[in-house]
Parts: sequence; structure tokens; C-alpha cells
Amino acid sequence: MNPTPLSSNTTRPRQAVLMKGITKVYPDGVIALRDVDFEVYEGEIHALLGENGAGKTTLMRILYGEIRPTRGEVWVWGERVEFRSPRGALAKGISMVYQNFTLVPNFTVLDNIYLAVSSTMRVSRGEVVGRLQTLMGELNFKIPLEATVEELPVGLQQKVEILKALVMGARILILDEPTSVLSPLESRALFELLRALKAKGVTIILITHKLREVKSVADRVTVLRRGRVVGVFGVGEVSERDLARLMVGGDVVVEGRKLEGVRGGVALRIEDLHVRDDRGLLRVKGVTFNVRYGEIVGIAGVQGSGQKELLEAIVGLRPVERGRVLIDGLDVTGYGVGERRRMGLAYIPDSRVEGLALTMSLTENSIIGLLERFLGRLNSIRWGLAEGYASGVVRDFNVVHRSLWDPVLHLSGGNQQRLMVGREISANPRIIVAHEPTQGLDIASSNLVRSKLLELKRRGSAVLLVSSEVDEILGLSDRILVMFDGRIVGEGAPGDFDEEKLGLLMGGFVEAR
Amino acid sequence: MRLGSLENLRSQLVEVTLALVVGFVGGALALTAFGYNALENIQVMISYGFRDLGYLLLKSAPIVLTALAFLVPLKAGLFNIGGEGQLYAGAITALFLSKIGFYLAIPAGALAGLLVGVAIGLLRVVRGVNEVVSSIMFNWTLYYLSMFAIQRYLLDPVYTHQSIRVDRVLSLPEVVTIMLLSPLVVYLLLYNTELGYRIRVAGSSSRVARYAGVNLNIVTIQSMAIGGFLAGLGGAIQVYGVTTVVDTTLSSLYGLGFLGIGVALIARGNPLAVIPAAVLVSGLLIGSHWMELRGRVAPELADVVIGVIILALSAPYAYRVLASRMGWGVGGG
Ligand SMILES: Nc1ncnc2c1ncn2[C@@H]1O[C@H](COP(=O)(O)OP(=O)(O)O)[C@@H](O)[C@H]1O
Ligand SMILES: [Mg+2]
Repeated sequence: MNPTPLSSNTTRPRQAVLMKGITKVYPDGVIALRDVDFEVYEGEIHALLGENGAGKTTLMRILYGEIRPTRGEVWVWGERVEFRSPRGALAKGISMVYQNFTLVPNFTVLDNIYLAVSSTMRVSRGEVVGRLQTLMGELNFKIPLEATVEELPVGLQQKVEILKALVMGARILILDEPTSVLSPLESRALFELLRALKAKGVTIILITHKLREVKSVADRVTVLRRGRVVGVFGVGEVSERDLARLMVGGDVVVEGRKLEGVRGGVALRIEDLHVRDDRGLLRVKGVTFNVRYGEIVGIAGVQGSGQKELLEAIVGLRPVERGRVLIDGLDVTGYGVGERRRMGLAYIPDSRVEGLALTMSLTENSIIGLLERFLGRLNSIRWGLAEGYASGVVRDFNVVHRSLWDPVLHLSGGNQQRLMVGREISANPRIIVAHEPTQGLDIASSNLVRSKLLELKRRGSAVLLVSSEVDEILGLSDRILVMFDGRIVGEGAPGDFDEEKLGLLMGGFVEAR
Repeated sequence: MRLGSLENLRSQLVEVTLALVVGFVGGALALTAFGYNALENIQVMISYGFRDLGYLLLKSAPIVLTALAFLVPLKAGLFNIGGEGQLYAGAITALFLSKIGFYLAIPAGALAGLLVGVAIGLLRVVRGVNEVVSSIMFNWTLYYLSMFAIQRYLLDPVYTHQSIRVDRVLSLPEVVTIMLLSPLVVYLLLYNTELGYRIRVAGSSSRVARYAGVNLNIVTIQSMAIGGFLAGLGGAIQVYGVTTVVDTTLSSLYGLGFLGIGVALIARGNPLAVIPAAVLVSGLLIGSHWMELRGRVAPELADVVIGVIILALSAPYAYRVLASRMGWGVGGG
């Protein structure tokens, strides 16, 4: 099924998808899309760019037949369609890879793929294996088909999802923010795969809010802002700066600016720390460093280099195998989470499911680690006070919500993240440990969070920042540590590193001295 | 909770109304299938069930307490199926102390229930025994232990099919006061105190609880203690306020704990809604006895009718609770 190469410039490329005048009003009255036109040509990589909440996912769920538009038409391969379910979309060769994968963790790769394929067509396992081998050959990568999915790194799990879609006959592949779960190296590998798929004639729609991804891999880009299309370009004809402006709707500063504060004494000291993960594997292998008051120390590293275990040991969520944690010179290694919090330590975890009680309200979530401050007589909770604190958090961090007493469950991911981060920062902690604090946030919100962290530091707090976003680390830190495989493999001021050097260290390429 | 859930309230009212319709239609079908006049019998059930208000409230009171006994641990993410056994413990302990008078006997009954609850909690915390399993075992153990205690120590010398009669009886206003105050206290505890907050965070997610510095082991024991206390109190009240004796087959106690589970589910886990839910279920129960008497409906069939109605009322929420506990998606709790 090789597409005929475009022989001359006069032939217009064939149209794969046309969405015309799409409007979507959700049952709760949110207008997610207004009169959106969207066109994708066969064999191109088309980026759908927009901030969080712009309506990207909504538009693609309509194309994929998961939800139906309030108004508007969808055409696929020049034919008017009205999908009632993803099955219908699949029949036309459309498939979607979500941010959260839909694989069964304890099944093998093959079982997962076979499970999906056999639900729509009659094939034998042998045939599926054959097709997978051919595909992996053509696309030039290998995944052990007998490995269980949970053993695989996230980057490979994603490739399993893509393989699954292809075996099921996908010719138009939608990827929803695929790099949000990947390390820089894994992202690069994904882009190579996308290019290979394109060469095979697969049409790709890439949802993203990262400008660099658009520039490096896409052919064309459609920019969405607040449910409207604000521009369609060939990637060559538009600059990153222009795209950023369109997407956000104003001039943006892509980096947080550093504010000089007064450097104080040592707030947090980590001594020769060794920590095991849940499965008993040693993940932190002798880490030592200090964080001073009025300083941001950034730890760069690919996800899974031991940062999570390190931070959990620091805040008291994970036992320490060997070594010590000191706050203000006091050995707190044996202290619980609550005791450390009372000493002024705050923690932003890398997962909202860990930091937010989803069935509880915004107000209740705002005081989750700060309960002592809101107690009255007989250990009763002073809800008036709590509500006041919550309303400050949602105001300062732009948490869009209907009522402070609605469950957090109903908030969008970005709003949940801002609530969680805002709660920890608004408490004015003396020491804050932040793990991927801007995860899932658009540019404007990321900048907001970064500026709040900088302000906290300027006012004299100690900040320990762990992020896999190189820009964030370079832009915010006064001192940078690079972590790889449970050890600190590099240390210095931001001026000592450029992106490439940092990238190499994060990937485990330790320079020979 | 608190404000902002009016819409939620409306959808729950719709759900309950629909469930009532489904339940009664189901019950009517069962009656018709066995050749009874469905309309007439259901009319008897409803009109007689809710006729004597005093009796209705008396019957409801212990169920309010066993419902709360299920509800509090549920908020912490635990299934206290042991309300039944905790109720036996409370009833028999209180009966033992009947000579001292109910000022001591009733708190002692509540305390006995509390100890059973704590035992179930400890088994879970220390030995990792699932609370459902240990609850069931405690229920049976306490069932036979209670029967033995009556036969051996508490038997009435004249009427040998039942225990001695308690010396002092709670008045109707006293029982009603306990029945109305307990849900209020539980509500305040859950939604306005530090302990209640920690219980609800633990129930929302154990991971979040750890993050927030909540000690899950302590919360498990605390919530099981409260649950056991309430069920024990329910048992004592059943003896001192309703039956004044316990028969040797425990038929006046049997099932009250399980009924509480249904009532808590019908109340959608809301401690205040437990009151109307308990009154509704008690009324239906009383009415079903009249249905047996008047319509000569077989007792088993009357039970089926009630069962269908309770099932229809509690199933939607029960599903949500299970789903959230098993991770089938979010909701409930
Ligand atoms: N199922 C839903 N119900 C109600 N509103 C929704 C739903 N899904 C998304 N929204 C709202 O629609 C808007 C667009 O969301 P989405 O398409 O997810 O944006 P994006 O993918 O660009 O971040 C947001 O305001 C979001 O809160
Ligand atoms: Mg999205």
C-alpha cells in the first residue's frame, strides 16, 4: 500500500481528514470548541498546538468517534462520516494513543496486542507475530514480545501502543501529548519513529503544547486557543516566537527570570543517603548534598534515576537504608512525614493522585498537610479559615473552579496541578521539595509556578527542585546536580552546563576527565 | 460535603425515587408470580408499616446505630461487616449488667462493641487480616457465644425460651433522643473534626493519606473502634429500649447489623440521611409482618419483597463504593 509519491507541485496532496465548523458544548455547559476547521493531508505529520484546555483533546476525541460534536461535519478520506464509537473510526483507519496507556500491565506485549486485535478481527497469534516482526523490521526497532508490559520503560510501552494501532490497521495515528511521559532521549527516539511512520505513508496528528516539538518533527501546524483556530502554517513559514504568541495570546517570557536573594545557612543536608524502592532495589546509592536558605538547587535527571526515592526519603515517606537527612542541622532521619512538615518542610509530589484526595473538595485539599493551622476548640476544623486559605490559593494560582466545595475530581488536570502546587507554596514553607512542579501545565501556568518558586527563594526559603525539563532546571537553579542511576554524576552552576552537556550527563555519558 | 452539592442532592433524590419505583414494582411482581394480590398487599404493608409512630421509631433506633457503625469505617475505606457481632456483644454485655441499671449497662455494652471493633482493626493492622474476613468470623463466634451466655447465665427461670428481663427500661423519648443525636454527633465528627478529616483522607486514598502524614494504622483502629462502639450501643438499646429480653435463638438481635449495612448504603453514606433510611426500612419490615398476617403471605415471600426493595435502593451506591474500592473507576466514598 505505497502511496504514489507526489510527482509535481501542482498536484494537491490527498486530504485525509477534514473537520468543518466543529462546535462542542459539554453537558456541563463548557464550550470547548467554537466553529473549528481542521484539515490534515495524507502522509504528513500535523501538529495540533495549544495550551492546556485549548480543546485539542476534545477535537481529537470527536475525530476518533469517542464523543460527538454539537455542530459540524467530519470528513475522512473525502467521505462524510458520523462515528458512533471508536470502532467506526478504526474501520476508517483512525487510531488514538492516549497520554495514559491502555495496556494491561501484567500481560506480555504480545498478549496485549493480540487482545486488542482479536477483538476487531479474526487473526491467529502467529499472524499477529508475523505482522509485528515485519513492522518492527521496517521501522527499525525491537521490542521483546514476551516481556510483560510493566517491565518495560515508558518509552517502549508507548511504542507498544503505536504497534498495536498499526497492527489494527491504523493509517491515521493520533498521539495525545506523547512526550509528556518521556525523557529527552526517549522523545528523540519517538520522533525518529514518527518520521519512519511518515515515510511509510502513515498520517500523524501530534497533539502538543511544546513549541520545540512542532519545529523539530511536524510538517504543518494548527494552533488552537480557547477553542478557536488562530492559525494554520507550514512549519517552515513560522517562528517559535510567533507560535508561542499565538498560542498564549500575548507576549510571553519563556524563561523564569532569576531573582537574587540572600544566601543563608544550610537548611537541608543529605548525607551518604542509600534508599531502596518498593521492590527492594537500591535506587539511591550514596548521595550527599546541601540546600541553603535562599537557594534553589536543581536536580536534573531522566525519570527513574532515583529522584523519586531520594525525595520520598527526604520528606519521610520512605525508609532510609543508610545515611542521614538533616533539617537545620537536626537529624530527622527517623521522623515521620507530619513531624517534618511541622518543621516547615513542604513537598510537591510528581503525581496528583498522590497529592490530592480526588473525592474531597478544593477546600479540604487545600489544608491537607497543614491541618494543625486550621484547628479550633476540641480539634474541630475552622472551615471559615480553611475556605479563606483555599480561596487565596485558587486566586493566586488561577485555579478555575465552580465551587470551593466541589470535589477536586471535577477539575481539569492543569487546575488540579495548580491547586496542589499552590497549596504547598502558599503555606510559605521554609523548605520546599518540588518534583516536576510544572508537569502538565501550559507555558503561562508553568511560568507562574516558576516565578512563585523564585519568589519563595527570594524571601529566603530553601528550594529543592527535581525536573526532567532541562530548561526549567537551567532557568531556575542556582546550583545544579545531575543524577544518574542513583548517584550524583555532575554538579555545578547553571553557567557550567549547556543543554547538550546536561543531556549527555542525564543520559549517563559521564565525561572523562 | 457542605455547600455546593445541591445538584448532587437532586441527582441522588432522582436515583432514590427511581430505585423505590423499581423496588416496589419488583416486589409486586414477586407477589403476583406467587398468586397474591400485589396491590392490596403492598397497600397493607405501607399503611400498617407506618401507622404506629412510636413503635416505628423504636424499631428504627438500633438500625440507625448499626448503620452508623458501618458508615464510619466505610469513610476510612474499611468494610465493617462486623456490626452484627458487635451488636451481639453490646446486647449481651448490657444484659449481664442489668442489675446495676442502664446508666452503666448501656455504656458497657457500647464499650464491648468497641473492643470487638478494635480487635478487628488490630488483626488488620498487625497481622494483615482483611477486615471482612475477620468480621465474618467474629460474627459467628459471637453469635454462638451469646447463645451460650443466655442459656448458661441469663436464662429466665420461668420462661426458659428467653433471658431474664432487664430491670429498667429506656423510655421512648430517651430512645428517640439517642437515635437523633447519634447521627448528628457522627456527622460533626466526620466533617468538622481533625479525626474525621483524617478518616476521610484515609478513605479517599491510602497514598494521599501517607503523603498527608496520616497514620493509616491508627485511623484503621480508631474508625473500627467508633464503628464497634456504635453497634454495641445499638445492641444495648435494642435490649433496654425495644425487646427488654433476648430469646435463646437471638431472633430479636439477628440481622440488625446486616440491616444497618443496607440502611447506610440507602443513605448514600450520609450520616444524617441514615435516620429517614432507617425509618423507611423499619416501616417496610413492620408492614411486611402485617402482610403476612392480613394477606396470609408466606413469611419467606414477604422477606423477598422487602429484600428486593432494599436491594434496589442500595445497589447503585453499593456499586459505586465497590467500584472505587476495587479501582474500577472513580466515585462513591
Ligand atoms: N468531559 C468533559 N466535560 C466537561 N468539560 C470538559 C470535558 N473534557 C474537557 N472539558 C473542558 O473542555 C475544555 C477543553 O479541554 P481539552 O479538550 O481537554 O483541552 P486540551 O486537550 O487542549 O488541554 C477545557 O476547558 C476542559 O475543562
Ligand atoms: Mg489534552
